[in-house]
This record gives sequence, C-alpha cells and structure tokens, in this order.
Amino acid sequence: MNEKKEKLTYEEQTKITRTIIKAAVLMLEYGAESRLIETVAQRLGKALNVDSVEVSLIPSAIVLTTLNDKQTQSVTTTRRAHHKPINMSIVCDVLKMCYKVEKEKLSVDFAIKAMKEIKPNYYNNWLKIFMVALSCACFAYLNEADWQAFATTFVASGIAMFVRQELSRKKFVQIITFGVTAFVATIIAALSQIYNLTATPNTALSASVLLLAPGFPFVNSVLDAVKGYLAMGWGRWMQAVLLTAATSIGIVFALTVLNIQGW
Amino acid sequence: MLSIIIEYILNAVFSAIPAVGFAMVFNVPKESLLKCAYGGAIGYCSRQMFMDFGFSIELATFFASSIVGMVALYWSRKYIVPRPVYTIASIIPLLPGNPAFSAIINLINMNAHGVSPELISMFIDNALRTIIVLGGIGFGLALPSLYYIRYNRPIV
Repeated sequence: MNEKKEKLTYEEQTKITRTIIKAAVLMLEYGAESRLIETVAQRLGKALNVDSVEVSLIPSAIVLTTLNDKQTQSVTTTRRAHHKPINMSIVCDVLKMCYKVEKEKLSVDFAIKAMKEIKPNYYNNWLKIFMVALSCACFAYLNEADWQAFATTFVASGIAMFVRQELSRKKFVQIITFGVTAFVATIIAALSQIYNLTATPNTALSASVLLLAPGFPFVNSVLDAVKGYLAMGWGRWMQAVLLTAATSIGIVFALTVLNIQGW
Repeated sequence: MLSIIIEYILNAVFSAIPAVGFAMVFNVPKESLLKCAYGGAIGYCSRQMFMDFGFSIELATFFASSIVGMVALYWSRKYIVPRPVYTIASIIPLLPGNPAFSAIINLINMNAHGVSPELISMFIDNALRTIIVLGGIGFGLALPSLYYIRYNRPIV
C-alpha cells in the first residue's frame, strides 16, 4: 500500500484530483449539504490512495487540494459551481459511487466512468404537474379550506407548475421563474375570491404558491450553519431569501393588478 | 374516540401526498418516494399530537421535525441515501404557509392604507410566527445529525 502511494506520479494525482472535484461540484450544484460534500471528497481521496484532501467551499465555487507523498506533492484546483435546479437523484448516485469505490477498492477510471453515466431520474412532466397540484390542494385541506378552495388551489397550482416548468425549460434565471410563477398562481387563486367561489380565499391563495417554498436552500443553510460552515450557510440563506422575495413580488404584483386590498 | 382516529388517518393521508409531490419536484430516486410519504405523515401527525397535548405550534413543530430527523437518520444509514432526500419532502406539510402569506398581505395593506397600530401588531404576530416555526423546523432537522458529529465520522 505504501509503495503504491509513492509510485503515484504527478499526472496520476492530477487525474485523481480532477475526479474528486468533479464529484464535489456535482453535489454542490445539485444541492447537497456542505458536510456531505466535504466527507465524500475526503473519503474518495482516501479510497483513491492520496494522503489527504483539503476542501474549501464557498457557495459559488470549490477549491480542492490533494496532498501525497508525505504531504510534499500537492495538486490544487478550483471549479466554478453553477446553481442548477435541485436534483437529489444525482447526489444519491455520486454518494453510491463513492461508497462503491470505497468498498470494492476500485480505480479512478471506474469513478470517472460512473460519473459520466449518471443520468438524472426525471419524472414525467405531466405527472409532476398533477402531483404538485394535488399537493398544494392537500396543503389547503390541512389548513382548513373548504372544497371549493381545494379545487381552486388544485387548478391554480397546476397551471403555475406548468408555467414554472416551461420557464425553467427555457433556462430563465430562477428568480424570474419564481416571480412569474407566483404571479400566475395568485391571479388564478384570487379570481375565486373576486367571483366569490369560496369562503376561505386566504387559504387558497397561500396554498397555491406553496410550490415555490424554497425548502432545500433553507434547510441546507441551517444544516450548514450549525455544522460550522457559516459562509455556506449565509450563502444559501441569502438564496432562500431572494427566492422568497421574488415570490412575494409576484404575489404583490398580482394583487395590485386585480386591485384586491387585503381582507 | 373514533372521530379522532379518523381525523388522524385523514390528516396522515393528506400530508403524505404533499411529501410525495415535492419529493418528485426535487427528483428523489424512485425507491425513496414511499419513505417520503411516511415521513410526511409522521411529521404532520406527530405535530398534531403534540398540539393536542397542549404544546404551542412552535414547540410542536420543533419536536415533530426532530422526530422526522431521527427517522430519516435511521433510514439514511440503512439505505445509504443523504438525509435531505427524506427530510425536506417530509417537512413540507409543516410549513407555515398561512402566517407567511398574511404577513405579506399586512405589509401591502400598510403600504396602501397607511400604517396603523393594529396592522403593525398583526404583521409582527404573523411574521414572528413564520420565523419561529421555520427556525423550529430547521433546528429540529439538524439536531439528530449533530449527535453523530462528536464521533467525527460520516453518517452515511
């Protein structure tokens, strides 16, 4: 084992470093928490026979160094992370790949090949629209809405989810997507109040924008902050606040257009 | 008694559906969808139980999300899946949607009709409830995994 370590050439170590940072960037882009990213990078490094891996995380980039040959030979590299829609199946696949490399002592080539083969597990778009619409309607039910409000929420959030998917397919920035989606959802839900379709319009309105709740950035920010990654925590919290602000602007704009003055 | 049981079962079903729906938005692997549904039901029903025992909604949310965190910790070690896959879908039914929305409406009203003491107190009421419930969710989910950090080894 020790001899094998000393034989690691500079080129080989660069290849290993690039593989590890590829895994780390994939996890950061698709929404894993910081501790998971750091431990996976270190475990991969150990499994691929480098002495140690040091990771520095900021919300938009990763700096990663591998040290080898009694810490005298080091390779450092940086990658920019572009924020993409949350996708947990990719994070799970990277984690499983790391686990496999660790358990079966596989080579770096396997890791590269496995990461190339990762395909996101997309659900059917119409199924997603139906499920999200039903989810928001159920949320309205849990908040004591009547059945008319249930139906209104179903329609409003279904159409809003369709708009959201179309906008993210056209690669709009998330903030614009959230604002426009909130606008559409509120307009449709507020129509039920204007035409007096329901006795609980408030619940219908708040439930139909539920699909924009930034759950992942928010929970990840708390998880990061309490585990000592304060900068990452702030970054993700800011992201959650920005998305919420975009949603609020959409709601406010819709209510202004329809000239509803609260209740 | 029977009506209480029926109410709990109905709530469990209606909180499992949002968990699955949002799990699909986050693209979780297919085999964990069912566990997300259980997580949502566990989270909502345990919060309702704590509230029936007389806890405030903030404290009940905190306990409910710690329970979800513990269950997710167990599942994630068993199936080797990161915890947020289960937890974030499960806490969706607990989100304080109504207070958050009312706070925004109060802000609009203050802007439109001028600031009055009633509007300010309503706004602070709703905003505080939103923030404290959200904080309860976040800390509740984080606590179970903090327990493992003292060994300094990864959870999954």
